[in-house]
Amino acid sequence: MIHAVLIFNTSGIPRLTKFYTPLHQSSQTVVQKIFSLISVRPQGLCNFLDAPELEAFLGPKDGSNERWRVVYRNYATLYFVFVVDGAESELGILDLIQVFVEALDRSFQNVCELDLVFHFDEVHHILAEIIQGGLVLETNVEEINSSVQSALKARKDSFISSNPLALGGSVGGSRNGGLPTPLNWLTDRLTGVSGR
Amino acid sequence: MWERTLQDLIRGLRANKNDEAKFIAQAMDEIRKEIKNKDMELKAGAVMKLTYLNMLGYDMNWASFHIIEVMSSSKIHLKTVGYLAAGQSFDDDTDVLMLTTNLIKKDLSSSPAEVAITLNGLSSVVTPDLARDLIPEVFAMLNHSRPHIRKRAVLTLYRVCERYPEALPQGIIRLREKLDDSDPAVVSTTVNVICELARRNPQDYLPLAPHLFHLLTTSSNNWMLIKLIKLFGALSPHEPRLVKKLQPPITELISTTSAISLLYECVHTCIIGNMLQGPSGQSLAQTCVSKLAAFLQDADQNLRYIALLALVKIVPTHANLVAEHQDVILASVDDDDISIRMRALDLVTALVNKHNLQSIVQQLLSHLVQPQTSVPSAVQSLSQHVVPSIPSKAPSVPSQSSAYRLVLSQHVISMCSNSMYDNVTDFEWYLSVLVDLTYVSNVDIGSRIRDQLVDIVGRVRAVRAYAVKLMVKLLSDETLLVHAGEPGSCSEVLWAAAWICGEYCGELLAPEELLPYLLHSEIHNLDPDTIVVYLQAATKVFGYWFTEAAQQWTDDLLDKVKGAVDSMMERLEDFVSSPHIEVQERAANILQLFTFIKHDLTTYRPKSEPAFSDGYSASLSVFDASEIDSGPAFPKSLYLIHPLFSTYELNPVASAAQASVPIPEGLDLDAWLVPSMQVPVNDENEGGEVVAEKKVKKKGKKGKEKGSSDRTKSKETKRRTDGEEVLVPLEDTETPEEIAERERQKAERLERMREDPYYITDDQPPKPPVDDVDSIPIIRLDELPPPTPKVEPRLFALKSSSARSSSPRFVVEKEGEMPEGAIPTPPLSQSAPITRQQTPSLFERISTPPPILPSFQQYDVPGNDARASTPEPIKVTRVKKKGTGTGKKKHTTGTG
Repeated sequence: MIHAVLIFNTSGIPRLTKFYTPLHQSSQTVVQKIFSLISVRPQGLCNFLDAPELEAFLGPKDGSNERWRVVYRNYATLYFVFVVDGAESELGILDLIQVFVEALDRSFQNVCELDLVFHFDEVHHILAEIIQGGLVLETNVEEINSSVQSALKARKDSFISSNPLALGGSVGGSRNGGLPTPLNWLTDRLTGVSGR
Repeated sequence: MWERTLQDLIRGLRANKNDEAKFIAQAMDEIRKEIKNKDMELKAGAVMKLTYLNMLGYDMNWASFHIIEVMSSSKIHLKTVGYLAAGQSFDDDTDVLMLTTNLIKKDLSSSPAEVAITLNGLSSVVTPDLARDLIPEVFAMLNHSRPHIRKRAVLTLYRVCERYPEALPQGIIRLREKLDDSDPAVVSTTVNVICELARRNPQDYLPLAPHLFHLLTTSSNNWMLIKLIKLFGALSPHEPRLVKKLQPPITELISTTSAISLLYECVHTCIIGNMLQGPSGQSLAQTCVSKLAAFLQDADQNLRYIALLALVKIVPTHANLVAEHQDVILASVDDDDISIRMRALDLVTALVNKHNLQSIVQQLLSHLVQPQTSVPSAVQSLSQHVVPSIPSKAPSVPSQSSAYRLVLSQHVISMCSNSMYDNVTDFEWYLSVLVDLTYVSNVDIGSRIRDQLVDIVGRVRAVRAYAVKLMVKLLSDETLLVHAGEPGSCSEVLWAAAWICGEYCGELLAPEELLPYLLHSEIHNLDPDTIVVYLQAATKVFGYWFTEAAQQWTDDLLDKVKGAVDSMMERLEDFVSSPHIEVQERAANILQLFTFIKHDLTTYRPKSEPAFSDGYSASLSVFDASEIDSGPAFPKSLYLIHPLFSTYELNPVASAAQASVPIPEGLDLDAWLVPSMQVPVNDENEGGEVVAEKKVKKKGKKGKEKGSSDRTKSKETKRRTDGEEVLVPLEDTETPEEIAERERQKAERLERMREDPYYITDDQPPKPPVDDVDSIPIIRLDELPPPTPKVEPRLFALKSSSARSSSPRFVVEKEGEMPEGAIPTPPLSQSAPITRQQTPSLFERISTPPPILPSFQQYDVPGNDARASTPEPIKVTRVKKKGTGTGKKKHTTGTG
């Protein structure tokens, strides 16, 4: 199961926090702890964060002798962090992060950090089409995108019908003219699942 | 009136980076106003802003009710905001959640878009109550016409069953149906849910195996295959037939798939699913290990990481296969990436055996050596087995956090001490490793090193001499003393050093040379616990040295002894007023002993000048004048201290020892210590015993304030009705026989107490214990060479250095000593915990009266056979008195 999905930038400011399992410590502490460990890791190291400092947070919980794992990927100025347990495949989660970012890219057309800043609700909605309650809902980017679009349309229609005078609509993922920062999709090696 | 939208808030935050707190406080005020507004749009906007601020760490629990208001909006774009906010902020303690049951019910019967939002929200906020009430609706959604809703319903079912397990049997039936769903994505999510559920109770899902197996052989969806493989990894340990059935398809997947993640999961499942047993498993194991070894050498760090992860799991069954790749694994311990280092460390710890332990530990130690700090030369000179030169690549050692250094140090210790030092063949080497750790670890692991040192010296006799030598070096190292108390200084090691040097100072040729270090003026800096051990150790050293000196007495020793006693007393006086009670008490006790010795020394007159001894000195002396003439030629008080410490030898005690002490015959643990306690009860009940019983019983139930005393009373009366009528002797009804018996027992007790050094009786003038010097048992270590003038000029030369050179075989006393006549207990498991390991201060003294065992068999191991061969019952009374002289008795503070 996926216990948390976190997005924060290279300064440690959270852009999205979603916890599927209640934590015993504040989400701020967790984000800061993970950030402080990830941000010092140079490029080229593995995408799994394993550090003695995290033992209290990731270590074996209530009886089971299983540790949680922190899987992360870095895209431009953002870190995408998934906290998962042994039911998830480590490499599969890496691919899932890629799927998530691709889905964001479809919705925002060339997504950049500013999109996530100003549309954090929309990011949540996109994530909700991929993961529900900590379990993977859908992994196909096309499928995800069409669900996202139909949900967006439903919200827009509802907004327009209740605000007939509004123009354009303030709901949804319309771009706000942020600086496009192309993501380096292809620099990261795909490890297989989505390639097939 | 302009209200800020979420976008405005975010812009404002970005514009006010310098004064964020003030800006947010202002925004919060606005939110509080807006959220109470009747306009739903405004309210939802406020909730949205609040959710954003919540992500930045601001509380939103106070707004739960308003969130529910937004959730209940009929507009889908507002409802979404409500469910999002609920998912982010609600937990089991959110009391307003119970208001949502009907709302969610209604939403689940609404348009597909709303149902999707609701199911997603429900997955996040579900509580046991909600789960119980909404189960029928969730089941109904499993058959929704849209696959998208069916997927969401399946996932919601998982959360519902998780919070409300009573729904599980019905849920499993539904999930089974969903495995046949027309939509492959629904099947995939169903597999996902079953995989998650099967991790808890795999047996419940075995009936689904044929179905799942069919999916495994027909599907080509890698996401689902990964989950199926994971699922079988959980199922197959519970169904041996499954293993056989799974081997062919999994072997095929391993050889054909191009997806590395699927390949890895197959290998992983083979390992955790018990598929590597038997002849067919052996080749599969070989394939798995070779695949993982290939990962280990891959350029992709991720593959190296997961390979280490899986190899740890295969080591217990196929250590030899993994050992072939030991070099690569060891290289991974040097990796720049801490994630890989951590996993490699785990794997290396699992791989350790007798043959590679030393090289592995050496390599790990070299990691701890920080390039910039020079290693104290003492360490290098001590560690003869340690490779003295730091590997040339030390400067490239990756940055190490102190947490990592701690983990590394712990791993070093645990791989050596694992299953009672099974892998350690050379304990001298291990002791020097521990000393090295003290210096290079630079983290707080001192207490663990201390416990190890004491444990080893207690268990391995052959290493004691070497240990004393090492510990003397530690004691004489002022840097340890000066930096004591600083984090990472490991000053706890001094505890062990002082204790070992004190306890085994007989190994030293000139123990008195140790005294300046034990009485160093800097020991104030130490932990009170350590100071106590220092004082005690100094006293032991004195005791040993005095007896030595007495045996080869020459009068020029007198000044030396006097000087040492003076310095000891001077130091003790510092501690007599210590704020730590234990330090104070010991210092005061020892000071009294030394005051006595000092007095004796000042009155001592050398025999060569008999003119003096006839005269006034005799009257000052504590001894009889008549005895001096026939007495020894040395101050008698030199024999005062040593017997206090050396009468019994310390041995490791088996963890079950205390429990197996048999209750001596005639000892009734239920008997009253103070019989008169019973008197008022009897008076009260006018002697009627049956009445008394009833009354007391009633009282025990009623009176709470008298509860405890009543309960004991009722127990007493109950026992009395069992037949022992005279169990409670009343003062006034005591028969003459009983009185006589009591008197006799008292006399006996007093007699015992007079003999016992631990009791101070006041009915006779305290005689100085030195009175009968000759009866004090003296331990002579017969194997040691007789005291001769210093052969070795070196400081702290060891006495038995010749014995050491012949490379002793190290024997570990693993089991520990058991009391005699121990009640036979089931054989101890190998890993039986040794109580002493954690708390070295709980050493129990097991007596071995020296007159009976005149020589210690230095390298002998009283192991299991010793325990079996001497099954004599424990004697509580003095051995001497009874004359049964079985030789051993046990002294513990409590049970005696």
